[in-house]
Amino acid sequence: MRIRLAIRGWIILPVLFALAGSRGVAAQAALKPVTLLNVSYDPTRELYEDFNHQFASYWKGKTGQDVTVRQSHGGSGKQARAVIDGLEADVVTLALAYDIDQISEKGGLLPANWQTRLPNNSSPYTSTIVLLVRKGNPKRIRDWGDLAKPGISVVTPNPKTSGGARWNYLAAWGWALRQPGGNEATAKEFITRLYKNVPVLDAGARGSTTTFVERGIGDVLIAWENEALLAIKELGPGKFEVIAPSLSILAEPPVAVVDKVAAKHGTKPVAQAYLEYLYSEAGQEIAARHFYRPRLAKVADKYAAQFPKVTLFTIDEVFGGWKKANAAHFADGALFDQIYQPGR
Amino acid sequence: MGAVGRWVTTIFLGAGPVVIVPQLVAQQPSDSALEARVNELDQQVRVLLRLRELAADSAAAAAKDKVSATASAKDGFSIKSADGKFAVRLKGLVQTDGRFFLSDSAAPATNSFFIRRARPILEATVGKYLEFRLQPDFGQGTTVLFDAYSDVKVAPEFAVRVGKFKPPVGLERLQSAGDIVFAERSLATNLVPNRDVGLQLSGDIATGTFAWQAGIFNGVPDLGNGDGDVSDAKDFAGRVFLQPFKRGILAGVGIGLAGSTGLERGTTAASALPSYRTPGQQTFFRYTTSTTTPANNAYANGRRSRLAPQAYFYTGPLGLLGEYTLSWQEVTQAATTAKLKHTAWQATGSYFLTGEKNSFRSASPKKPFDPKAGTFGAVEIAARYSELDIDDASFPTFASPTSSPTKAKAWAMGLNWYLARAIKVVVDYEHTAFDGGAAGGDREAENFVVSRVQYSF
Repeated sequence: MRIRLAIRGWIILPVLFALAGSRGVAAQAALKPVTLLNVSYDPTRELYEDFNHQFASYWKGKTGQDVTVRQSHGGSGKQARAVIDGLEADVVTLALAYDIDQISEKGGLLPANWQTRLPNNSSPYTSTIVLLVRKGNPKRIRDWGDLAKPGISVVTPNPKTSGGARWNYLAAWGWALRQPGGNEATAKEFITRLYKNVPVLDAGARGSTTTFVERGIGDVLIAWENEALLAIKELGPGKFEVIAPSLSILAEPPVAVVDKVAAKHGTKPVAQAYLEYLYSEAGQEIAARHFYRPRLAKVADKYAAQFPKVTLFTIDEVFGGWKKANAAHFADGALFDQIYQPGR
Repeated sequence: MGAVGRWVTTIFLGAGPVVIVPQLVAQQPSDSALEARVNELDQQVRVLLRLRELAADSAAAAAKDKVSATASAKDGFSIKSADGKFAVRLKGLVQTDGRFFLSDSAAPATNSFFIRRARPILEATVGKYLEFRLQPDFGQGTTVLFDAYSDVKVAPEFAVRVGKFKPPVGLERLQSAGDIVFAERSLATNLVPNRDVGLQLSGDIATGTFAWQAGIFNGVPDLGNGDGDVSDAKDFAGRVFLQPFKRGILAGVGIGLAGSTGLERGTTAASALPSYRTPGQQTFFRYTTSTTTPANNAYANGRRSRLAPQAYFYTGPLGLLGEYTLSWQEVTQAATTAKLKHTAWQATGSYFLTGEKNSFRSASPKKPFDPKAGTFGAVEIAARYSELDIDDASFPTFASPTSSPTKAKAWAMGLNWYLARAIKVVVDYEHTAFDGGAAGGDREAENFVVSRVQYSF
């Protein structure tokens, strides 16, 4: 008995000592400054720089707690892999739901039903895919069909690494399917010709914008609508034009709290509030100012004029959801690997 | 150039365009075709430049993900993952000694060159929190496992160590074998454990201001290096060490208190009692043993405790280190049991003549030895005094007064030459005098010179 007591004493005392000396005292944690890591995809840099600043002010006012949000950007697929491999993201705001599904399935970092935890399939804003051409549209590009013509140089990122590129690819495929006489074979033939016109495959959407806008390569950039409008805003309307295709895809970039990481960091409440703030009127305003289509009707009406009218289809309607689309088109050995051979 | 030359040049320059221009005009394609061709070439050049740019980005990203291999005197040879979470380090310590005894007529000791320590050290980092260390020793013709432990470092304030390692008691013992000032540790280190198997909790609060360790171990005799236990009872060991000053001349002050306690019950066949050694590594004290009547052998039979106040002070090239150690052990011999208390202390001073900063760890020379550059390395001089006082109650029941002294007193002086961080040459002289320990009075004093070439990385 004496030995047992002694053992308890020798073990418990130092543990208490360590806990008392450590910075993890619960009472202090409530007001302790907190840092979140938002792992996002390529073109959202400016959106989240703006949003993070505003959220920090909102959170400070509401709780008195200082919050700093660090950002990480890259191709959506690549970012998802980084999180699975240990990049400790408190929240992810990626280009497509499939990438967050991967974090759930392969990383086990959040539950499979993550998309049901926030409104609108966990997608607080939407976008679509448009065509950006040089001023005056010298190659007279009007719709997807023009991109596969000889002599047209198309810039788009690599669907193996970029979520945006997958949206691009699927938008073009969906258009081809819906042409008179369109079927899987004609769509494949069209996409094959289109990608033969692609001289450079960047890893992410922002890289493709750099290729087209700053390096002066190509006749047309297949781009997120927000990225194309941002390029015009940043570089001036005198250099580029947005061409709205006759048909495009409704892109729903999703967001989610990475439960296990947030729990480990003790940031779950603030991470949840961070994402919920995206749905607030203030958050929707910020999204709209950065050319993302807001979900909130009031804000959507206010910014309606800045978005071209495009007929949109969803991934579920044409491809049966991300899982099927990925397996058929982007998995190793699937359609994209069949039609695109590097160096050819 | 002469006048004729200038005339010829004038003719050519003046008449040339008249001849050439019409030919060029005749060969020129249409403006639109030329523009299209220029645009095409311009695009090709831009694409090639962009592809090169992307290839460079990819190469840079791939380099970040690459496993890196490094070699240095400080960290040995290491292979590390890009994120630093996984690493394997191979280190080593080799000490080649020459030990020469002077005036050892009464109890001749062998003068010898030998490998004092030969330790390959394998360390690994596995993930964010787990570290591992394996250190065998092949020195002196034997193979002994010195360290085999894993650390779970939850936070600087809290870590858990499991395996075989140094119990947190003696200050000089806790100093690495490659870092100690003299070739051999002092008499005071006789009274603390060397290595034991157990579990230890530890922490480092306020970046080293306050460090603590507390552990449970099998329990080994003084100076013992154990791999198992001879009884069910366990030892508890703990240590607190303060470095209260962060700035100023007192920034190098460290002061601490360590101790251990536990029950140890040996037998006449396995006594669980220590013997003590001189700095020349000659045994000068041992408990009563009898080859003819083993039943008369002394053995540990009760509580064993140790207490070790300790301190050091390092400022600039000067280093001072001292400790006082007490060791209690209940001992039985035949029908007699007594609680014996042995005490020891030591004070060591060292000074870098070449101005290097002194510390608890090995020094790194400001200018490593390089004859071509005319640099010599670092030179350190050192002096030490130590004593070990055996409890008088030990004699004659538990130890023989004619073979074991009641006290040993040693003074030493030494010269250390650090050729580089990894290479050190040591020359020490140590004199140890004894009270008692011989049939006619005092045991003959030990005088020895030890030279060492140490390579550690």
